[in-house]
Amino acid sequence: MPTLNQTVRQAGLLQCNVCGGLSRPPASLSRYSVLRCPRCHARLHTPNRKRSVEVTWALLIASAILYIPANALPVMSVYMLGSGQPDTIISGVYKLWSTGQWPLALIVFVASIVVPLLKLFALGFLLVGIQRCSRWRQHDRMRLYRLTEYIGRWSMVDIFVIAILVGLVQFGNLARVDANAGSLSFAAVVVLTMLAAHTLDERMIWEEC
Amino acid sequence: MPKQNITPMPASCENGQLACPECGLLHRHMPLAPGKVAHCRQCHTVLYRDDPAMTDSVLALTVAGLILFALSNVFPLLGLRAQGVETGLHLLGASWAFWQQGFWVLALLVSLNLFLFPLLELLSLLTIALTIRLNWQPDLAILLFRWMRVLKPWGMLEVFMLGILVSLVKLGSMATLIVGTAFWSFSALIVVMAAANAVLDPYTVWQKLDKRCRH
Repeated sequence: MPTLNQTVRQAGLLQCNVCGGLSRPPASLSRYSVLRCPRCHARLHTPNRKRSVEVTWALLIASAILYIPANALPVMSVYMLGSGQPDTIISGVYKLWSTGQWPLALIVFVASIVVPLLKLFALGFLLVGIQRCSRWRQHDRMRLYRLTEYIGRWSMVDIFVIAILVGLVQFGNLARVDANAGSLSFAAVVVLTMLAAHTLDERMIWEEC
Repeated sequence: MPKQNITPMPASCENGQLACPECGLLHRHMPLAPGKVAHCRQCHTVLYRDDPAMTDSVLALTVAGLILFALSNVFPLLGLRAQGVETGLHLLGASWAFWQQGFWVLALLVSLNLFLFPLLELLSLLTIALTIRLNWQPDLAILLFRWMRVLKPWGMLEVFMLGILVSLVKLGSMATLIVGTAFWSFSALIVVMAAANAVLDPYTVWQKLDKRCRH
């Protein structure tokens, strides 16, 4: 591809986040004007680093706080023949492991514990880099962002497993599965980190401040 | 003071320039041989592809997807038999389960993930493909494609599939499992939707929907 050796910003253009369309901003803008993409009518973000960074931090901190009840509270309870107890995510993984179902234990461990933690740290790391205007390994940081954005939704697998088990295992006293409050905070962590990945404008990784 | 909407001058098709959606580096558009892919010089992101059959492929896959979606919602997905008692689960039963337990927020989230967003995605793809194919007024297709790309990560059919597989292994030792008809149509639906999205090239679609760019 022939390149024009210029970024959108250097050429004084605006690029739509949604459709990628380019446009030329008017020379003067009042504080109250909202720019709309001429092609898809999405709101154009005049590069406002501060806002993107602030909103992402807020979402990230909220999900970090919710990560605690998500792991401390039970997510579901399995009752067999009248006996059973609530399980947290970790005790669920441990139970799978101890009954010899280690591949399954590994999937749940990675999707429910490693991925959310990884997302929290990765987004925090990217934000610090952006705030310090770091030029260090921009390619790899971009790759980290892509990875974070991609794996986020897979954490929902635990919520779906709970939904399926609760929906299927309803045999009264013989066997029964109930959902518990931990699943609510866990889903909130997944949703908030997904939103945080969305509000982080990844082009800030490449831009000079 | 009310907000004032301003539409700046378009600069998209001006001397064929386009910007990398990831890093913002400007490139000049070049015609490609069929099946070839253009990458960004700086970050190697895919910029556009040339596939003459794109619209027709997307259309065929979307129609197949809508049929499979209907089947997946009508027939039971999984069943469980223990001591002569049988329980069944439909696709939306996953959401219903949370509702019955009093977690209506989760019920809402799951039904958005498994029903509303995937359906919206299929209908949007259909509208977009038809708009390009039949030269309709592009306004609705533009609106749908814009929202489809924002809502994309929130449709979670393939994540649910992993959930089904994990549940199958978990339950396999406890009781007799019945794999329902919807399980198969659901598996096919995931493949078909992934294929439709792989075939679809966003740059080409935007180019075709933008009246100013039609060369």
